[in-house]
Amino acid sequence: MHLQFFLLLAAALFCIGVYGLINSRSAVRVLMCIELMLNAVNLNLMAFSNFLDPQEIRGQVFTVFVITIAAAEAAVGLAIVLSIYRNRDTVDMERFNLLKW
Amino acid sequence: MNLAAGVQIVSFGLLAAIILVGALGVVLLPNIVFAAFLLGLVFIGMAGQYLLLNADFVAAAQVLIYVGAVNVLILFAIMLVNKKEDFTPLPRAWVRRGATALVCLGLFALMGTTIASTPWALDPAPTVSSSVATIGAHFFSDFLLPFELVSVLLLAALIGAVVLARRDYLPTVKEQETVFSLPERPRELITSDSK
Amino acid sequence: MDFASLAAQLNAGAILPEVLVTVTLLGVLTIDLVGGRSTSRWTPYLGIAGLLGALGALYYQWGQANPTAFLGEFNADPLSIVFRGLVVIAAAVTIAMSIRYVEQTGTSLGEFIPILLTATLGGMFLSGADELVSLYVALETLSIASYLLTGYMKGDPRSNEAALKYLLIGAASSAVFLYGASLLYGLSGGETRLAAIGAALSTLTPQTASGAVIALVFVAAGIAFKISAVPFHQWTPDVYEGSPTPITAFLSVGSKAAGFALATRVLVVVFPSVLEQWHFLFAALAVLSMVLGNVVALTQTSMKRLLAYSSIGQAGFVILGLVAGTAEGYASMVFYLIVYLFMNLGAFTAVVLFSLRTGTDQISEYAGLYQKDPLLTLGLSLCLLSLGGIPPMAGFFGKLYLFWAGWQAGLYGLVLLGLVTSVVSIYYYVRVVKMMVVKEPQEMSEAVKNYPPVTWSLPGLRALQVGLVVMVLVTSLGGILSNPLFRLANSSITQTPLFQAVPPSIANSRL
Repeated sequence: MHLQFFLLLAAALFCIGVYGLINSRSAVRVLMCIELMLNAVNLNLMAFSNFLDPQEIRGQVFTVFVITIAAAEAAVGLAIVLSIYRNRDTVDMERFNLLKW
Repeated sequence: MNLAAGVQIVSFGLLAAIILVGALGVVLLPNIVFAAFLLGLVFIGMAGQYLLLNADFVAAAQVLIYVGAVNVLILFAIMLVNKKEDFTPLPRAWVRRGATALVCLGLFALMGTTIASTPWALDPAPTVSSSVATIGAHFFSDFLLPFELVSVLLLAALIGAVVLARRDYLPTVKEQETVFSLPERPRELITSDSK
Repeated sequence: MDFASLAAQLNAGAILPEVLVTVTLLGVLTIDLVGGRSTSRWTPYLGIAGLLGALGALYYQWGQANPTAFLGEFNADPLSIVFRGLVVIAAAVTIAMSIRYVEQTGTSLGEFIPILLTATLGGMFLSGADELVSLYVALETLSIASYLLTGYMKGDPRSNEAALKYLLIGAASSAVFLYGASLLYGLSGGETRLAAIGAALSTLTPQTASGAVIALVFVAAGIAFKISAVPFHQWTPDVYEGSPTPITAFLSVGSKAAGFALATRVLVVVFPSVLEQWHFLFAALAVLSMVLGNVVALTQTSMKRLLAYSSIGQAGFVILGLVAGTAEGYASMVFYLIVYLFMNLGAFTAVVLFSLRTGTDQISEYAGLYQKDPLLTLGLSLCLLSLGGIPPMAGFFGKLYLFWAGWQAGLYGLVLLGLVTSVVSIYYYVRVVKMMVVKEPQEMSEAVKNYPPVTWSLPGLRALQVGLVVMVLVTSLGGILSNPLFRLANSSITQTPLFQAVPPSIANSRL
């Protein structure tokens, strides 16, 4: 097993997340793409933790924090999506244009 | 190559395939409900990878929090924003998609070559056998500060999310009075109110 | 192990100001929960008192012998103290201006203040965090609380939209930052302390250098988002316009100051080995921010959007001090941020007051305000002139010091560009001042014609008035009597150990 396999997988996942982030029309799907990117980061941290830092495993501690904060962020994101849906009746990113230039 | 290494390689490949196909599905599938379920699949695949990386505790946390909480939250969001929305197609959307795809491929190539060319300082020592104990010791010694700070963050996120998502947010003063006099009101009024 | 020795081992006294803020936060929350809505008449003042207490605690921390706390998680050096002080003052003034604002919009203060204090806490820890995990957690505490505050006016679609945009762009940029952080963890062979990472990166071979540059680019993207430098600024105008105005003030000052603290610490401690690359990167950010921020501000019609673009331009000026890379450069950056705090908060307080009285923030509605409300006009004019850098305001001396430090460091092109763009910026600031002062009575706008009689007796307005007067006084006198501020900025750099490695003038060797 090589460290590079995991890192390449993480990089691919991150890039897929970036693609989805830019091209998604639905706000909920953008949230999902952010979760993908965070998972890529977690995989990076876990791989480094296993291969480079096996005694202290600080990467695992870091990952636990990232997971916690991602959950908080998802909750806040859901609340904001709900409140905007209630006012605007849509989750289409292209139609959130009250604020432009 | 011994048997254990072979099994590891095969399971890595299977999990990586699940993760990549799932992630592509999340991004590309038109139906958002399928996308959300595929996201759950990606999360479970990640937990499998963590097991391959000798991290039992984080793998369990991944399943519990990502699949159990984040993915369920996202499914709730989809259900609450419960409208079949046909997005009006944008003119020349394919140009944007193509350009982003190119940029992302370029980014991946850049990151891939860097990853492949960097000589990582590998540490041959075996991973600690009980990761839970080590993580716990970290939480209460050199990672105490973020551990405490995260509790404040979670509190604020909890309060803020409730404030934002609550439906009728601030009853006017008159309404509040009627709420307080609720026990004295006749029963049918309450039921008609609670609708 | 008993509690006292544990506290001594952790050097827990170093976070006393943060503990005070946390206690205030919980206190306000609990009082609101137990006492109900009627307590909101005085809980904001409790919040301000807690913040002032934290400021006092910060004052007593200055120059303590052992700044490292929590086993290297947190660094209470003079640099962090200055930035934490900036965040605390910004939060206190923000509370003072939001008491009336939040009441008038019919939302509740009981949750608003705890969330604002959480953001403050995040900003304070971000200013002193010395380790990747603390850094990330503090950054997210600040960000998540800011998303919530941005969307706090949930009946207003513009506020919702601003919150959604801020959340999505912010979460994406923090994921990018985090990817950079994970690369740093790997490149350093499993270190999370900033100093250890910097030491590990300093032994770079050509093979690892590309990894370090990629990590730098990812980390810089996260930082540039926080300080809203072009091209990571797209969220700024929308979020500034859509947020409740006091929150806009906090984001443009407190959050930005914390971002600069993060930038300074990370760039100076972690990336000295790729010095040229980060100088180039941030010089580019400075050029783009100065040009785009100041030019687009010319076309704005809303006061909040004008201040948003102007704050992008101001961020460009501040980055100039960072790029200079000398002790004077950092000191001028700190000095300008201190001055910017007062003048920008003063301007925002005036804008809040105007929108409380008229319900609008269009620039054209300010026409002829001088006849109806001289104090507001005077305060806003002084702050805007100071932002434009007109002598003898504090902003002039701030810019002078920045440009001087940049010139000393050999950044001739950047300084010249800074001079040109600040001339452009004077134009749009003076346009607003002219609108308020010069117009004849018959040219008055509708909003000013219907201006309510000036009264300060409504609950919360007194605090706003005090905030406005203090900010305007510091802005106008801070220029002539700038010595204390100047000394503060200088000693925050010279007494901070991490800048000891910085030679007084790198540039001379570079020329």
